[in-house]
Amino acid sequence: MPLVRRPSLPSESPAAPAGSITEGTSEQRWAAARAAAAQPDGVALLAKALSQERDPLVLEAIFTGLAAAATAESAAAVVPFIRSEEARLRAGALDALRAMPEASRPHIGSLLADPDADVRLLSCELVRGLPEAEANRLLIDLLDGETDKNVVAAAVEVLAEIGRPEALPVLVLCSQRFVGEPFLAFSIKVATDRIGDP
Amino acid sequence: MTEPPEVSEEEFRRTCDFLYRRSGMLFTEGKRYYVQRRIAERMAALKIAAFTTYFAFLRSDADGEIEKFINAFTVNETYFYREEHQLRCLSSDLLNERVGSKRPGQALRIWSVPCSTGEEPYSIGMWLLENWPDVDAQDIEILGSDIDTECVNAARRGEFGLRALMRLTPDLVAKYFVPSGKERWRIVDDLRQSVQFTKVNLIDSAETRRHGVFDVIFCRNVLIYFDDTSRRLAAENLFECLAPGGFICLGHTESMSRISPLFEVRRFADAIVYQRPQGGARD
Repeated sequence: MPLVRRPSLPSESPAAPAGSITEGTSEQRWAAARAAAAQPDGVALLAKALSQERDPLVLEAIFTGLAAAATAESAAAVVPFIRSEEARLRAGALDALRAMPEASRPHIGSLLADPDADVRLLSCELVRGLPEAEANRLLIDLLDGETDKNVVAAAVEVLAEIGRPEALPVLVLCSQRFVGEPFLAFSIKVATDRIGDP
Repeated sequence: MTEPPEVSEEEFRRTCDFLYRRSGMLFTEGKRYYVQRRIAERMAALKIAAFTTYFAFLRSDADGEIEKFINAFTVNETYFYREEHQLRCLSSDLLNERVGSKRPGQALRIWSVPCSTGEEPYSIGMWLLENWPDVDAQDIEILGSDIDTECVNAARRGEFGLRALMRLTPDLVAKYFVPSGKERWRIVDDLRQSVQFTKVNLIDSAETRRHGVFDVIFCRNVLIYFDDTSRRLAAENLFECLAPGGFICLGHTESMSRISPLFEVRRFADAIVYQRPQGGARD
Protein backbone atom coordinates (compact mmCIF):
# COMPACT_ATOMS: atom_id res chain seq x y z
CA MET A 1 0.00 0.00 0.00
CA PRO A 2 1.81 3.09 -1.21
CA LEU A 3 0.45 5.92 0.69
CA VAL A 4 -0.02 6.25 4.32
CA ARG A 5 3.07 5.88 6.39
CA ARG A 6 2.93 5.11 10.05
CA PRO A 7 3.08 8.36 11.93
CA SER A 8 5.73 8.94 14.49
CA LEU A 9 5.03 10.60 17.80
CA PRO A 10 5.88 12.99 19.17
CA SER A 11 5.89 15.25 16.17
CA GLU A 12 6.45 18.96 16.03
CA SER A 13 4.80 20.67 18.97
CA PRO A 14 3.71 24.20 19.60
CA ALA A 15 6.07 26.25 21.67
CA ALA A 16 5.91 25.46 25.36
CA PRO A 17 4.04 28.05 27.39
CA ALA A 18 6.40 30.55 28.89
CA GLY A 19 6.85 34.21 29.62
CA SER A 20 4.63 36.97 30.86
CA ILE A 21 0.94 37.08 30.20
CA THR A 22 1.14 40.80 29.50
CA GLU A 23 4.30 40.94 27.41
CA GLY A 24 5.65 39.50 24.18
CA THR A 25 3.85 38.53 20.99
CA SER A 26 0.20 37.55 20.95
CA GLU A 27 1.23 33.89 20.57
CA GLN A 28 3.42 34.17 23.65
CA ARG A 29 0.68 35.91 25.63
CA TRP A 30 -1.82 33.27 24.47
CA ALA A 31 0.50 30.51 25.70
CA ALA A 32 1.08 32.32 28.98
CA ALA A 33 -2.65 32.86 29.48
CA ARG A 34 -3.34 29.18 28.86
CA ALA A 35 -0.63 28.20 31.30
CA ALA A 36 -1.73 30.70 33.95
CA ALA A 37 -4.83 28.72 34.91
CA ALA A 38 -2.62 26.04 36.44
CA GLN A 39 -0.61 28.50 38.52
CA PRO A 40 -1.47 29.32 42.15
CA ASP A 41 -1.85 33.01 41.37
CA GLY A 42 -3.35 32.30 37.95
CA VAL A 43 -6.66 34.05 38.50
CA ALA A 44 -4.93 37.24 39.63
CA LEU A 45 -2.65 37.10 36.60
CA LEU A 46 -5.55 36.53 34.24
CA ALA A 47 -7.62 39.27 35.87
CA LYS A 48 -4.77 41.75 35.48
CA ALA A 49 -4.24 40.73 31.87
CA LEU A 50 -7.93 41.06 31.10
CA SER A 51 -7.82 44.74 31.92
CA GLN A 52 -4.99 45.33 29.44
CA GLU A 53 -5.38 42.78 26.66
CA ARG A 54 -7.08 43.60 23.36
CA ASP A 55 -5.92 40.77 21.10
CA PRO A 56 -8.96 38.53 20.47
CA LEU A 57 -6.92 35.33 20.55
CA VAL A 58 -5.40 36.12 23.91
CA LEU A 59 -8.67 37.45 25.30
CA GLU A 60 -10.35 34.17 24.50
CA ALA A 61 -7.72 32.26 26.44
CA ILE A 62 -8.01 34.66 29.37
CA PHE A 63 -11.79 34.34 29.54
CA THR A 64 -11.53 30.55 29.29
CA GLY A 65 -8.94 30.45 32.07
CA LEU A 66 -11.13 32.57 34.34
CA ALA A 67 -14.21 30.49 33.50
CA ALA A 68 -12.33 27.27 34.18
CA ALA A 69 -11.18 28.61 37.56
CA ALA A 70 -14.84 29.32 38.41
CA THR A 71 -14.07 31.04 41.70
CA ALA A 72 -15.61 34.08 43.33
CA GLU A 73 -12.43 35.94 42.41
CA SER A 74 -12.57 34.94 38.75
CA ALA A 75 -16.25 35.83 38.43
CA ALA A 76 -15.61 39.20 40.08
CA ALA A 77 -12.83 39.85 37.57
CA VAL A 78 -15.13 39.15 34.64
CA VAL A 79 -18.30 40.96 35.77
CA PRO A 80 -17.14 44.54 35.02
CA PHE A 81 -16.55 43.60 31.38
CA ILE A 82 -20.20 42.88 30.78
CA ARG A 83 -20.48 46.71 30.81
CA SER A 84 -17.72 47.15 28.24
CA GLU A 85 -18.27 49.38 25.25
CA GLU A 86 -16.54 46.72 23.15
CA ALA A 87 -18.88 44.03 21.89
CA ARG A 88 -16.10 41.42 21.95
CA LEU A 89 -15.43 42.04 25.63
CA ARG A 90 -19.13 42.09 26.51
CA ALA A 91 -19.74 38.84 24.68
CA GLY A 92 -16.62 37.26 26.13
CA ALA A 93 -17.62 38.26 29.64
CA LEU A 94 -21.15 36.94 29.18
CA ASP A 95 -19.91 33.60 27.83
CA ALA A 96 -17.39 33.27 30.64
CA LEU A 97 -19.97 34.05 33.32
CA ARG A 98 -22.41 31.62 31.74
CA ALA A 99 -19.70 28.96 31.84
CA MET A 100 -19.26 29.36 35.62
CA PRO A 101 -22.87 29.50 36.84
CA GLU A 102 -22.19 28.91 40.52
CA ALA A 103 -19.48 31.57 40.71
CA SER A 104 -21.61 34.02 38.74
CA ARG A 105 -24.72 33.47 40.80
CA PRO A 106 -24.03 36.07 43.54
CA HIS A 107 -23.67 38.78 40.88
CA ILE A 108 -26.82 38.15 38.89
CA GLY A 109 -29.19 40.07 41.16
CA SER A 110 -27.15 43.25 40.98
CA LEU A 111 -26.58 42.86 37.24
CA LEU A 112 -30.33 42.63 36.70
CA ALA A 113 -30.71 45.86 38.67
CA ASP A 114 -27.96 47.65 36.78
CA PRO A 115 -28.86 51.15 35.52
CA ASP A 116 -27.58 50.17 32.06
CA ALA A 117 -30.34 48.44 30.09
CA ASP A 118 -27.79 46.54 27.98
CA VAL A 119 -26.35 44.99 31.13
CA ARG A 120 -29.81 43.96 32.32
CA LEU A 121 -30.58 42.51 28.90
CA LEU A 122 -27.40 40.43 28.75
CA SER A 123 -27.87 39.31 32.33
CA CYS A 124 -31.19 37.69 31.47
CA GLU A 125 -29.15 35.03 29.71
CA LEU A 126 -27.33 34.27 32.95
CA VAL A 127 -30.65 33.65 34.66
CA ARG A 128 -31.42 30.85 32.23
CA GLY A 129 -28.83 28.64 33.93
CA LEU A 130 -30.19 29.10 37.47
CA PRO A 131 -32.56 26.73 39.24
CA GLU A 132 -36.09 27.42 38.04
CA ALA A 133 -37.50 28.81 41.29
CA GLU A 134 -34.67 31.30 41.68
CA ALA A 135 -34.73 32.20 38.00
CA ASN A 136 -38.46 32.87 38.12
CA ARG A 137 -38.12 35.02 41.21
CA LEU A 138 -35.36 37.12 39.66
CA LEU A 139 -37.18 37.60 36.37
CA ILE A 140 -40.47 38.41 38.08
CA ASP A 141 -38.69 41.09 40.13
CA LEU A 142 -37.06 42.45 36.99
CA LEU A 143 -40.23 42.51 34.90
CA ASP A 144 -42.23 44.07 37.69
CA GLY A 145 -40.60 47.45 37.11
CA GLU A 146 -38.75 47.12 33.81
CA THR A 147 -39.35 49.94 31.36
CA ASP A 148 -37.01 48.93 28.52
CA LYS A 149 -38.85 46.82 25.97
CA ASN A 150 -35.71 45.00 24.85
CA VAL A 151 -34.92 43.91 28.38
CA VAL A 152 -38.50 42.74 28.78
CA ALA A 153 -38.23 40.78 25.55
CA ALA A 154 -35.04 39.08 26.75
CA ALA A 155 -36.60 38.19 30.10
CA VAL A 156 -39.79 36.91 28.49
CA GLU A 157 -37.78 34.71 26.15
CA VAL A 158 -36.13 33.07 29.13
CA LEU A 159 -39.49 32.66 30.87
CA ALA A 160 -40.82 30.95 27.76
CA GLU A 161 -38.41 28.17 28.56
CA ILE A 162 -38.26 28.04 32.32
CA GLY A 163 -41.29 30.04 33.43
CA ARG A 164 -43.61 28.81 36.15
CA PRO A 165 -47.20 29.78 36.91
CA GLU A 166 -46.11 32.39 39.45
CA ALA A 167 -44.68 34.40 36.53
CA LEU A 168 -48.06 34.71 34.80
CA PRO A 169 -49.27 37.83 36.68
CA VAL A 170 -46.17 39.84 35.83
CA LEU A 171 -46.47 38.79 32.20
CA VAL A 172 -50.00 40.18 32.19
CA LEU A 173 -48.66 43.43 33.68
CA CYS A 174 -46.00 43.61 30.96
CA SER A 175 -48.54 43.08 28.21
CA GLN A 176 -50.52 46.01 29.60
CA ARG A 177 -47.43 48.20 30.03
CA PHE A 178 -46.25 47.60 26.46
CA VAL A 179 -49.61 47.47 24.76
CA GLY A 180 -48.27 49.24 21.66
CA GLU A 181 -45.49 46.70 21.03
CA PRO A 182 -46.81 43.85 18.87
CA PHE A 183 -43.59 41.88 19.12
CA LEU A 184 -43.73 41.89 22.89
CA ALA A 185 -47.40 40.96 22.81
CA PHE A 186 -46.49 37.94 20.69
CA SER A 187 -43.56 36.94 22.92
CA ILE A 188 -45.63 37.29 26.06
CA LYS A 189 -48.41 35.17 24.55
CA VAL A 190 -45.92 32.43 23.64
CA ALA A 191 -44.47 32.44 27.15
CA THR A 192 -47.91 32.55 28.76
CA ASP A 193 -49.16 29.66 26.61
CA ARG A 194 -46.14 27.58 27.46
CA ILE A 195 -46.35 28.24 31.17
CA GLY A 196 -50.08 27.58 31.13
CA ASP A 197 -49.57 24.33 29.26
CA PRO A 198 -46.28 22.96 30.60
CA MET B 1 -40.81 -1.03 20.08
CA THR B 2 -41.93 1.89 22.24
CA GLU B 3 -44.56 4.00 20.57
CA PRO B 4 -43.76 7.71 20.32
CA PRO B 5 -45.73 9.69 22.90
CA GLU B 6 -48.42 12.14 21.98
CA VAL B 7 -46.53 15.42 21.72
CA SER B 8 -48.34 18.58 20.71
CA GLU B 9 -46.81 21.04 18.28
CA GLU B 10 -46.08 23.41 21.16
CA GLU B 11 -44.48 20.65 23.22
CA PHE B 12 -42.38 19.60 20.25
CA ARG B 13 -41.14 23.17 19.75
CA ARG B 14 -40.45 23.53 23.42
CA THR B 15 -38.44 20.31 23.46
CA CYS B 16 -36.47 21.42 20.42
CA ASP B 17 -35.77 24.80 22.03
CA PHE B 18 -34.59 23.06 25.16
CA LEU B 19 -32.33 20.72 23.22
CA TYR B 20 -30.89 23.56 21.17
CA ARG B 21 -30.12 25.64 24.24
CA ARG B 22 -28.40 22.77 25.97
CA SER B 23 -26.57 21.16 23.08
CA GLY B 24 -26.64 23.41 20.05
CA MET B 25 -28.43 20.64 18.14
CA LEU B 26 -31.23 22.01 16.08
CA PHE B 27 -34.21 19.86 15.14
CA THR B 28 -37.06 21.15 13.04
CA GLU B 29 -40.47 19.82 12.10
CA GLY B 30 -38.95 17.45 9.55
CA LYS B 31 -37.25 15.58 12.40
CA ARG B 32 -40.36 15.37 14.51
CA TYR B 33 -40.64 11.61 14.42
CA TYR B 34 -36.96 11.23 15.29
CA VAL B 35 -37.32 13.58 18.24
CA GLN B 36 -40.48 11.83 19.43
CA ARG B 37 -38.74 8.46 19.24
CA ARG B 38 -35.92 9.69 21.47
CA ILE B 39 -38.45 11.12 23.94
CA ALA B 40 -40.29 7.79 23.93
CA GLU B 41 -37.09 5.92 24.70
CA ARG B 42 -36.32 8.10 27.67
CA MET B 43 -39.90 7.98 28.97
CA ALA B 44 -39.89 4.19 28.69
CA ALA B 45 -36.56 3.96 30.49
CA LEU B 46 -37.95 6.07 33.32
CA LYS B 47 -41.41 4.45 33.25
CA ILE B 48 -43.01 7.87 32.81
CA ALA B 49 -46.30 7.82 30.95
CA ALA B 50 -47.06 11.50 30.28
CA PHE B 51 -44.88 13.85 28.27
CA THR B 52 -45.58 16.75 30.62
CA THR B 53 -44.30 14.70 33.54
CA TYR B 54 -41.20 13.76 31.59
CA PHE B 55 -40.49 17.31 30.48
CA ALA B 56 -40.68 18.57 34.07
CA PHE B 57 -38.29 15.77 35.07
CA LEU B 58 -35.96 16.73 32.24
CA ARG B 59 -35.96 20.43 33.08
CA SER B 60 -35.16 19.72 36.71
CA ASP B 61 -32.21 17.60 35.53
CA ALA B 62 -33.22 14.94 38.04
CA ASP B 63 -30.76 12.06 38.06
CA GLY B 64 -28.70 13.77 35.34
CA GLU B 65 -31.53 13.45 32.85
CA ILE B 66 -30.41 16.33 30.63
CA GLU B 67 -27.22 14.50 29.74
CA LYS B 68 -29.10 11.25 29.15
CA PHE B 69 -31.63 13.04 26.97
CA ILE B 70 -28.90 14.65 24.89
CA ASN B 71 -27.08 11.33 24.66
CA ALA B 72 -30.21 9.80 23.21
CA PHE B 73 -29.79 12.15 20.28
CA THR B 74 -26.06 11.85 19.91
CA VAL B 75 -25.11 8.28 20.69
CA ASN B 76 -24.59 7.08 17.18
CA GLU B 77 -23.23 3.82 16.03
CA THR B 78 -20.03 4.38 14.17
CA TYR B 79 -19.48 2.96 10.75
CA PHE B 80 -17.16 3.30 7.81
CA TYR B 81 -17.64 6.26 5.46
CA ARG B 82 -19.93 8.00 7.92
CA GLU B 83 -20.61 11.61 6.84
CA GLU B 84 -19.05 10.85 3.50
CA HIS B 85 -19.52 14.44 2.37
CA GLN B 86 -16.72 15.49 4.73
CA LEU B 87 -14.43 12.86 3.27
CA ARG B 88 -15.24 14.23 -0.19
CA CYS B 89 -14.40 17.70 1.08
CA LEU B 90 -11.11 16.37 2.45
CA SER B 91 -9.99 14.99 -0.90
CA SER B 92 -11.56 17.70 -3.06
CA ASP B 93 -10.52 20.80 -1.15
CA LEU B 94 -8.88 20.58 2.24
CA LEU B 95 -5.77 18.58 1.46
CA ASN B 96 -5.15 20.36 -1.82
CA GLU B 97 -5.15 23.65 0.07
CA ARG B 98 -2.89 22.30 2.79
CA VAL B 99 -0.36 20.80 0.35
CA GLY B 100 0.56 24.29 -0.76
CA SER B 101 1.74 25.20 2.72
CA LYS B 102 3.99 22.17 3.25
CA ARG B 103 7.73 22.04 2.88
CA PRO B 104 9.05 19.36 0.50
CA GLY B 105 8.86 16.01 2.28
CA GLN B 106 6.82 17.38 5.17
CA ALA B 107 3.93 15.07 5.94
CA LEU B 108 0.29 16.01 5.90
CA ARG B 109 -1.10 15.12 9.31
CA ILE B 110 -4.72 14.15 9.93
CA TRP B 111 -6.19 13.53 13.37
CA SER B 112 -9.37 11.65 14.11
CA VAL B 113 -10.40 12.50 17.65
CA PRO B 114 -12.31 10.87 19.18
CA CYS B 115 -11.75 7.86 16.96
CA SER B 116 -13.96 5.39 18.86
CA THR B 117 -13.01 1.90 17.61
CA GLY B 118 -11.20 3.14 14.53
CA GLU B 119 -13.84 3.34 11.83
CA GLU B 120 -13.15 7.00 11.11
CA PRO B 121 -9.34 7.02 10.80
CA TYR B 122 -9.41 3.83 8.73
CA SER B 123 -12.15 5.39 6.58
CA ILE B 124 -9.93 8.41 6.01
CA GLY B 125 -7.10 6.18 4.85
CA MET B 126 -9.33 4.14 2.56
CA TRP B 127 -11.00 7.24 1.18
CA LEU B 128 -7.72 8.91 0.32
CA LEU B 129 -6.35 5.77 -1.29
CA GLU B 130 -9.43 5.55 -3.43
CA ASN B 131 -10.18 9.19 -4.14
CA TRP B 132 -7.24 11.56 -3.76
CA PRO B 133 -5.08 11.73 -6.90
CA ASP B 134 -2.08 13.04 -4.92
CA VAL B 135 -2.11 10.16 -2.50
CA ASP B 136 1.07 8.58 -3.84
CA ALA B 137 2.93 11.86 -4.02
CA GLN B 138 2.45 12.91 -0.41
CA ASP B 139 3.41 11.55 2.97
CA ILE B 140 0.26 11.33 5.02
CA GLU B 141 0.07 10.60 8.72
CA ILE B 142 -3.25 9.48 10.12
CA LEU B 143 -3.69 9.37 13.87
CA GLY B 144 -6.73 8.21 15.79
CA SER B 145 -7.16 9.10 19.46
CA ASP B 146 -9.81 8.46 22.06
CA ILE B 147 -10.16 8.92 25.80
CA ASP B 148 -11.40 5.34 26.11
CA THR B 149 -8.42 3.01 26.11
CA GLU B 150 -10.64 0.01 25.33
CA CYS B 151 -11.71 1.80 22.17
CA VAL B 152 -8.09 2.54 21.33
CA ASN B 153 -7.14 -1.12 21.76
CA ALA B 154 -10.09 -2.24 19.64
CA ALA B 155 -9.10 0.29 16.98
CA ARG B 156 -5.58 -1.14 16.91
CA ARG B 157 -7.00 -4.64 16.40
CA GLY B 158 -9.03 -3.30 13.49
CA GLU B 159 -11.79 -5.90 13.60
CA PHE B 160 -15.32 -4.94 12.70
CA GLY B 161 -18.78 -6.44 12.42
CA LEU B 162 -21.21 -6.31 9.57
CA ARG B 163 -22.98 -3.13 10.64
CA ALA B 164 -19.79 -1.09 10.63
CA LEU B 165 -19.25 -2.04 7.00
CA MET B 166 -22.78 -1.30 5.82
CA ARG B 167 -21.83 1.75 3.75
CA LEU B 168 -18.94 0.09 1.95
CA THR B 169 -19.23 -1.56 -1.45
CA PRO B 170 -18.25 -5.24 -1.70
CA ASP B 171 -15.24 -4.15 -3.73
CA LEU B 172 -13.97 -1.95 -0.92
CA VAL B 173 -14.56 -4.66 1.65
CA ALA B 174 -12.67 -7.15 -0.48
CA LYS B 175 -9.81 -4.73 -0.97
CA TYR B 176 -9.32 -3.45 2.56
CA PHE B 177 -10.57 -6.26 4.82
CA VAL B 178 -9.94 -9.92 5.40
CA PRO B 179 -12.50 -12.26 6.96
CA SER B 180 -11.92 -12.77 10.67
CA GLY B 181 -14.55 -15.15 11.99
CA LYS B 182 -18.30 -15.21 11.64
CA GLU B 183 -19.49 -11.92 10.22
CA ARG B 184 -16.25 -10.27 11.31
CA TRP B 185 -13.70 -8.57 9.12
CA ARG B 186 -10.26 -7.25 9.86
CA ILE B 187 -8.55 -4.30 8.22
CA VAL B 188 -5.69 -5.46 6.01
CA ASP B 189 -2.32 -5.22 7.71
CA ASP B 190 -0.91 -2.55 5.40
CA LEU B 191 -3.67 -0.12 6.25
CA ARG B 192 -3.90 -1.15 9.89
CA GLN B 193 -0.20 -0.49 10.35
CA SER B 194 -0.49 2.87 8.66
CA VAL B 195 -2.75 4.38 11.28
CA GLN B 196 -1.53 5.04 14.78
CA PHE B 197 -3.79 5.14 17.82
CA THR B 198 -3.30 6.94 21.11
CA LYS B 199 -5.26 7.82 24.19
CA VAL B 200 -6.11 11.50 24.65
CA ASN B 201 -8.30 13.66 26.82
CA LEU B 202 -9.39 16.60 24.72
CA ILE B 203 -9.56 19.00 27.62
CA ASP B 204 -6.05 18.20 28.82
CA SER B 205 -3.79 20.61 26.97
CA ALA B 206 -0.62 18.76 27.95
CA GLU B 207 -2.00 15.58 26.38
CA THR B 208 -3.29 17.21 23.22
CA ARG B 209 -0.09 19.21 22.77
CA ARG B 210 1.96 16.02 22.78
CA HIS B 211 0.24 14.95 19.59
CA GLY B 212 1.78 17.78 17.61
CA VAL B 213 0.32 19.96 14.91
CA PHE B 214 -2.19 18.76 12.32
CA ASP B 215 -3.41 19.90 8.95
CA VAL B 216 -6.91 18.49 9.36
CA ILE B 217 -8.70 17.39 12.51
CA PHE B 218 -11.91 15.38 12.50
CA CYS B 219 -13.61 16.03 15.81
CA ARG B 220 -17.15 14.86 15.34
CA ASN B 221 -19.95 14.51 17.84
CA VAL B 222 -17.96 14.92 21.01
CA LEU B 223 -17.98 18.60 21.92
CA ILE B 224 -21.73 18.41 22.42
CA TYR B 225 -21.11 16.16 25.40
CA PHE B 226 -19.06 18.81 27.18
CA ASP B 227 -20.21 21.64 29.40
CA ASP B 228 -19.43 25.20 28.34
CA THR B 229 -16.06 25.42 30.06
CA SER B 230 -14.85 22.06 28.79
CA ARG B 231 -15.99 22.93 25.28
CA ARG B 232 -13.98 26.14 25.40
CA LEU B 233 -10.91 24.34 26.71
CA ALA B 234 -11.24 21.64 24.06
CA ALA B 235 -11.67 24.24 21.32
CA GLU B 236 -8.51 26.01 22.45
CA ASN B 237 -6.60 22.75 22.59
CA LEU B 238 -7.75 21.87 19.09
CA PHE B 239 -6.83 25.36 17.90
CA GLU B 240 -3.36 24.86 19.31
CA CYS B 241 -3.07 21.49 17.56
CA LEU B 242 -3.94 22.94 14.17
CA ALA B 243 -1.35 24.43 11.87
CA PRO B 244 -2.21 27.99 10.84
CA GLY B 245 -4.61 27.49 7.94
CA GLY B 246 -5.47 23.98 9.16
CA PHE B 247 -9.03 22.70 9.18
CA ILE B 248 -11.34 21.13 11.71
CA CYS B 249 -14.41 19.09 10.76
CA LEU B 250 -17.21 18.78 13.32
CA GLY B 251 -20.34 16.64 13.29
CA HIS B 252 -23.16 17.90 11.12
CA THR B 253 -25.19 19.08 14.10
CA GLU B 254 -22.30 20.94 15.70
CA SER B 255 -21.13 24.50 15.26
CA MET B 256 -17.76 25.80 16.37
CA SER B 257 -19.14 29.32 16.08
CA ARG B 258 -21.29 28.58 19.12
CA ILE B 259 -18.27 27.43 21.10
CA SER B 260 -15.37 29.69 20.25
CA PRO B 261 -14.59 32.73 18.12
CA LEU B 262 -11.12 31.43 17.33
CA PHE B 263 -11.95 29.81 14.01
CA GLU B 264 -13.11 30.99 10.62
CA VAL B 265 -15.99 29.30 8.87
CA ARG B 266 -15.15 27.90 5.43
CA ARG B 267 -17.87 26.78 3.10
CA PHE B 268 -16.87 24.22 0.50
CA ALA B 269 -19.04 22.42 -2.01
CA ASP B 270 -19.32 19.31 0.15
CA ALA B 271 -19.06 20.58 3.71
CA ILE B 272 -18.80 23.48 6.08
CA VAL B 273 -15.58 23.28 8.07
CA TYR B 274 -13.67 25.53 10.45
CA GLN B 275 -10.22 26.89 9.86
CA ARG B 276 -7.48 28.24 12.06
CA PRO B 277 -6.70 31.65 10.58
CA GLN B 278 -3.24 32.09 9.14
CA GLY B 279 -2.39 35.00 11.38
CA GLY B 280 -4.18 34.27 14.65
CA ALA B 281 -7.76 34.47 15.78
CA ARG B 282 -10.66 35.52 13.63
CA ASP B 283 -11.08 39.27 13.99
